[in-house]
Order: sequence, then C-alpha cells, then structure tokens
Amino acid sequence: MNAREEILGRLRAGGDGSTALPPVWRSRREFADLAAQFAQAATAAKAEVRRAADWDTAVTELGRLLAEINAQTVVVNGDVAGADWPDRFPAVQWHLVGQTAGDLRAFCATADAGLSSADAALAETGSVILSSGPAHSRMATLLPPIHIVLLPTSRLTSDIFTWTQARQDATPANITLVSGPSKTADIEQTMAVGVHGPKRFVVIVYDDAG
Amino acid sequence: MSVQGSTFPQFRQSATIAIEDVRLQGALDRALSHFREARGGALAAVPAVEEMRDHLKLIRGQTIANLAHHLETFERNAQANGAHVHWARTAEEASQIIVDIARAHDVKLVAKSKSMMTDEIGLNQALAAAGIEPVETDLGEWIIQLSQEDPYHIIAPAVHKTKGQVIELFEHESGEGLAEADIPALTAVARRMLRTKFLAADMGVSGGNLAVAETGSVVLVTNEGNGRMVTTLPRVHVAVMGLEKIAPTWDEAAVWLSLLARSATGQTLSIYTTAISGPARPGDVDGPEEVHVVLVDNGRSQLLNTPYEEVLQCLRCGACLNVCPVYREAGGHAYGSPYTGPIGAVVSPLLFGLEKYEALPHASSLCGACKDVCPVRIDLPRMLLELRKDQVEQGLVGPEALAERAVATLMSNTSLWKLATGLARVGQRPFLQDNQLQLPINLTGDRRPPTLPDKSFRQMWADGEVESGD
Amino acid sequence: MIDQQKRIALFVTCVIDQLMPEVGVDTVKVLRRAGYEVDFPAEQTCCGQPFFNSGFQDEARRLARRTIDILADQEIVVLPSGSCTTMIRQEYPHLLANEPKYYYRALRLAKKTFELSEFLMKEAHWGETAVSHQPAPQPNPITYHDSCHMCRLLGLKKEPRQALQAAGYAIQEMEESERCCGFGGLFSVRMPEVSNAMTAEKLRQAQATQTTTLVTADPGCLMQMRGLTDNQPPVEHIATMLERATR
Repeated sequence: MNAREEILGRLRAGGDGSTALPPVWRSRREFADLAAQFAQAATAAKAEVRRAADWDTAVTELGRLLAEINAQTVVVNGDVAGADWPDRFPAVQWHLVGQTAGDLRAFCATADAGLSSADAALAETGSVILSSGPAHSRMATLLPPIHIVLLPTSRLTSDIFTWTQARQDATPANITLVSGPSKTADIEQTMAVGVHGPKRFVVIVYDDAG
Repeated sequence: MSVQGSTFPQFRQSATIAIEDVRLQGALDRALSHFREARGGALAAVPAVEEMRDHLKLIRGQTIANLAHHLETFERNAQANGAHVHWARTAEEASQIIVDIARAHDVKLVAKSKSMMTDEIGLNQALAAAGIEPVETDLGEWIIQLSQEDPYHIIAPAVHKTKGQVIELFEHESGEGLAEADIPALTAVARRMLRTKFLAADMGVSGGNLAVAETGSVVLVTNEGNGRMVTTLPRVHVAVMGLEKIAPTWDEAAVWLSLLARSATGQTLSIYTTAISGPARPGDVDGPEEVHVVLVDNGRSQLLNTPYEEVLQCLRCGACLNVCPVYREAGGHAYGSPYTGPIGAVVSPLLFGLEKYEALPHASSLCGACKDVCPVRIDLPRMLLELRKDQVEQGLVGPEALAERAVATLMSNTSLWKLATGLARVGQRPFLQDNQLQLPINLTGDRRPPTLPDKSFRQMWADGEVESGD
Repeated sequence: MIDQQKRIALFVTCVIDQLMPEVGVDTVKVLRRAGYEVDFPAEQTCCGQPFFNSGFQDEARRLARRTIDILADQEIVVLPSGSCTTMIRQEYPHLLANEPKYYYRALRLAKKTFELSEFLMKEAHWGETAVSHQPAPQPNPITYHDSCHMCRLLGLKKEPRQALQAAGYAIQEMEESERCCGFGGLFSVRMPEVSNAMTAEKLRQAQATQTTTLVTADPGCLMQMRGLTDNQPPVEHIATMLERATR
C-alpha cells in the first residue's frame, strides 16, 4: 500500500463520512461609503490612499507621484488599460507587461515603481486583489520599492465574505490580497516597512461611473 | 525548532535561564502584551465575533470528521491546476520527497518562507545532508538561522534577540560595519541580502496556512513579502503542510481568514494573503514552472476518534502563547519543539512521543486562559489532563507517584488520615526554625512551604472550639 | 429561594483543614451570621482534585464516591474554595459518568453545592446581613485576585466583589486580576521556578495597587501567594475579610 492509500485509509476509518457543513457565513457589514471605509482601513495598515474624481484626475495624480519619487523606470500590468503610458509619461522608461519585449524579471528587479489595477478591493480590511494572468505580472507588484494601484470604485466590495460569495469558476494560478506595504516587527518588536516586498503601497481610488 | 524533546530537568533548566534573563523577560512582556491588546481590539471590531468563532469551530470540526473526502477533492483540483500532490506518512518521508524533488531539478539553493512544518520534518538538515543550501527568508527565521538557534514563538521567532545581537549577526554575514544602524537600516540590509537569494534560488519552499479543497489552492498568510517571493521567483515551488489544515471551500476559508490574523497579531488581514493554485498557466508571464504540495500526516490521523481529535482544529495563530503565564516565564526554548506554548504542550507529546515530552503535560497550572482566547475554543486544559492520565496509565510517572497514591489511600479513610496528619504535626517539629519549615529537600524553590498548625480545623470542631461567637 | 432555617454542611477542604483552620472558623462564623446553622460532616477529607489533576483518575474517583456518600443527606453544601467547588460540581459527574449509581447522585450533589461568596450573594441575601452587622470601617482599599477556577470555570467574578463591597471594602483592581497566581496544585512543586515566577508577577501587580490586603477565594492561591511574600501585601481569604467586617 502506498502512502496515499495508507493515509486515506486511516482518515476514512477515523472519519464519519459526512459532508455536511454549516451554512455559509454572510457578511454582517453595511458600509455607507465603501471608498471611505477602504481608505480608512488601508491607511491604518500604512498604505497610502489618494482619491481622484475620475480616471483623468487619477492619471494626473499618478504623474505627480511618479515625479515625487523621480521614477525613471516603471513596470505596468496590462490591467491598467485606457492609457498609452509611454505617450502620457515619455520621460519614464516603461515596461508594458505582455507587450514590451525584454527580460521582465530583470526589469522588475531594478524598476523604480510597479503599477497595476486590481480585480477587486475589500473595504473592510483595505485590501486589493491581484490575480496572475497574461499581462498580469506578479513580480511587477512585488519587486519594485513602490507599488501603485489605480483602483476604480466600481471594484470595491464590502469584505472577504461578499468577495468570496461573488466568486466565479476560474481560479488563476495566483491570487494575492494586498493590505499594505511589506512589513515586519521581527527586530525588537519594532515595526519596519519594506522588508522584502514594496516599502510603499499607494492606492489611487477614482470614481468610474459608467 | 526541531523535535528535541522536553524532560522535566530540561524544561526546568531552560525555564530557569529564561526567568533569570531580565532583558528577555522585558522583551517577552512587551511582545506578548502587544499581541494580546492588538487581538482584543481587532476582535472587538468584528460584528458577531463570538458567533463567528462558534461557526469556525463547527467548520473545523466537521471538516476534520471527513478529512479523506476533502483531501481527495483538494488533490483532484490541485492536479487539474497542474500541481503535483504528494502524501507523506512520516516526517522522514516528507523530507525525502522534497529532497528528491530538489535533486530531480538539480537544485543548489532553496529559498524558504516561514514554516513550522519544515522544522517538524527536519527539512533543513535533510537538504544540507544532500548538499543543498536552504536559506530562511522570513526576517525572524533568518536571524535565528544565522545565530543557529531555534524559534522562540510561533509568530515571532526572534522575539528574544536584541538589536545589538542582530547587528552582530548581520555584520558577520554581510561584512559591513553596522554599529550605528537603526532598525530600518538593518531591515534594508536584510532586504538587500535576501533579495539576491530570492533571485538566485532554484526552488522555493513554503508552508501553508490553509488549503482550499474547492480550487486546489494553498493559502499563505504573510507580512514581509517573502512568501510571495519564494512562490513566484524560483522555477519550482514546494508547499508542505499538515493534512488537517484544509477548508472545504472558499466560504469556509473566508471565515478562517477573518479570524486568523486578528487572533495572531490583531491585523484584520495580514499584508499578503496569497492563494496558489498550481504553477504558471499557459500565457502567464511569471510564476513557477512546477508546484508541488506535500501533505503530511506524521501522527495527525492517529488523533481521530480520540479525546485529542479537537487539536486538529488548531489554526496555528499563536493566541494561546500570548496569554499563557507559563510560556511567558519559561519562554519558547523550554518546550523543545517547533510548537510551543499551550498548543505545543499538547501536540508535541501527541505527535512526537509522550515519553520524550514528559514535562509538557505538566508545564501548565491549568489556568484556562488559552481556551478563552483560542479562536476555535479548543479545550487545551482538558487535553493536558488527558495526557497526564495517559502518563499514569502508561506508567510514565516518577517516584513521586508512589507518594501521591499513598496520600490518596490515607485520605480514603478518615481515621488513617487523622493519624497520618497527626504524625506529620509531630514529625515537622525538628524541621521548624522560627516557625519556618526547613526540609532537607527543597520542593518549593524560593517559596516558603506552609507549616502545620497545632490543631486542624476538624480537631478544633471536635473540641468544641468552633462556635458562632456572636 | 432558600429557607433560612435550613442547615448548611461545610466542606472545609483539605488545605484549610490542615494548613489554615482559621479560614474554616471564619467561614462558619460568616455563615452563622448570615442566619444558617452549620454542620461539619466529620468523615470528609479531600474532594480528590490534586489526584485528578495529576492523572490519577482511579484515586480521584475513589475520593469522589466517598465525598458523595458523605454529603448525600445534606441539603446545602458550601465550600470556601472555588477549585474544590468546581471539582465537585463540574468534574464529579464526568468522572463518574460510567457509574449510574454515582452519576445521578453526583448531579444531585452538584445542584446543591456552592462556593462561599456565590452562596452568600445568590442565596443568603448577604447584602442585608452585612448591613445589619453595621460593617465597621475597614483597612481600605483592598485588591482581589480572581482565581482561575472562580473566574474561568465557575464564572464567579461579581459575587466575591459584591460580598466584599457589601461588607464595606473598597476594591482597587490589579492590572490583570485574572492572571494565574502560579499555584496549579502540584504544578507548584513540579515546576517551582516557573510557578514562583508567576507568583512574583501576581504579587508585583498586587503591590502596584498600593492596597492594604490581597484577597482570594481559593485556599491554594492563598497558600501559594503567602509563601512568597512577607506580608507585602498581607494575603487573606475572603471568609476572613468578611468575618472581620461583620463582628
């Protein structure tokens, strides 16, 4: 008998074979203003949240931020469509994931910033949800010292329960819920940011009515 | 920490060192009280939190009652994602599986994110013996790897190290002078040095905080980003976890995730919650080429249908450690196990041997604080009592058992009891000095043992000395 | 509601009987002041808890059966101890679950077994009694240690405080009144270093309240804490405090 059979045999013998589970837990949250709740929760986790009235204002805000950090090289995931980045910000060297040729890893390892959108965002915990996929790089949102998210308010949902209950069938290879900049308190219980992941996590939340 | 054991002398010796280390006591105090406060605040903000805990307990209990079904579902879905699923009966088998995967891929360097399971199976030693270099990337784990020590706490492995000690370790490792470095600077050093390892590693090894059967996913709950690194950058990723850490669907996983970080550190969610569902898909621009999941039994299935089955519900949040007054004084090393504190005192003897861990069922005053804070309300005090009963039934007791049984016999007969205690009253006299008892053997450390007064209550009553007196 | 002409059986506990009989005397006085006649079934020795906690379940069962037999005909049983009350009320039915002859008697005994402050507040209208004895001003404030059995197993946090307050005491709380004092029965001699370190922390917190007395409802805790302090602060049983205040 191989390990698998032996283990399953023991588990079957020790179990009761019942597949009953308690009813699904429903969200108990009713946030009047999802964007405001998101901003509050994310800020508490040391993320930075900037509000923009619409897409154009958001892009302007992004420009301000890129200038602030003097970004020379930026990697951007294909989920932030609707802008021709090299045209908008010609002073920056862009790697457009899924389009630009060249070594993605090497670019991400030295890029000044990573830019993406998010599939969804949880208001309760101030979290954004990133998925892997064509033109969605994991490294882009992990390796650079700052990760910037352009988040439309339509993607906000209440909490992890409303998000999981809305799930569709296909699951990508990697889903990451990001709730702030990388941090640790492993040295003398003192909080430090930017251990391995980004030191700064900025979410520009814009309204996308329609 | 590897599986080392904890006898009475070992536990007491290690505990004494911890107790006498004033600096350590201060550090532990600060860390544990911070975790306690943070957990309290976080749970207080959750609507219907007690109901949620009850709900999660139900979920865990029912899942464990049918682990075979859920694990088979997990395996099917993980394989459909392109992942390989391995089953390990023992620690050795699990380590061997991972070493074999490494060899098959000509791996020289393994980047690891924090995993107590890898400690349990002795993975680092097995890799090193096969000529493969494992590097810990969780900052706390890396610090103790450099200092060649064992983790001190389930969530805060390096809680016992000072900044000065860390500076020394980093200076030695980096060759840089770091004498003036503050904590952000030290963090930057770690970021730089470990970044090169991430990018160079052939294989990443992680644990798994939970698995979700519905989608064949392994979920990692982390804060530093190293969990994402080791599961994205190397071409092979191996996740190794206990087979009890499974949620049937994302509905159950959502409840689990809602209580895990809050109970552990007081965060609503950790900075990164990552669900890994197989290797990079066709069209993905990055991600590992291969993903392996190793499901480890190592004694867990043996707990089903025993009074200990409930411990399989544990989420490994560490909340019990943060309230345990014994852990607070004795520290983590006294437990001699990857699993410390109240949960460690129960699972270590169960998984690794009651004889080897004889002290742990007794490393508790049964105060019950652990049970109060456990998100799934595991009755740890009850488990400890059961283990003590097992020790007696298996004859794993010392010479004092004779004395205990003798006293119980005396107490079962009033005349005998009166006689024995009367004799003790007389017998203690030669040992009394200034009304203090100085016994030849010290059983109470710095504490003064009580002396027997001239008359017992029953004697006073019999002599008519107990009146209403009003 | 208990008719105050009923009699109470005192289960004094082995620790109080042998090591601190004055606490037993104070308990009797307090109960008599509350209007009850108190009996002492003299065959009693020990509820069996130390053996149960050490894994000697056969020995614990023997003492449990014996205790049930001794208390069978009593109408009310009161104990000046949270831990022994827990043993009788909560553990006896578990221990004897496989012995129908004793199981049902254990359940009946459980229903009529009370810890002292619980009895005083829930059944004996202690508030009125204390007032009627015109409590004299007492050394104040005091601080109260919630023993593990009292607060976590019996759920008795209000009752001891109310009993003390009714007797004229003001309570200044410790930072962590519910933190274990380190006794844990035989734990205190199996792991004395850890046990004493826990006690030292409890005493440090008590001293920090700058109160006159550290009060507890459990004789085990009392013995433990007294063993490590030189009256700094003095440690007393709740029965003693209530007796003093209602003379």
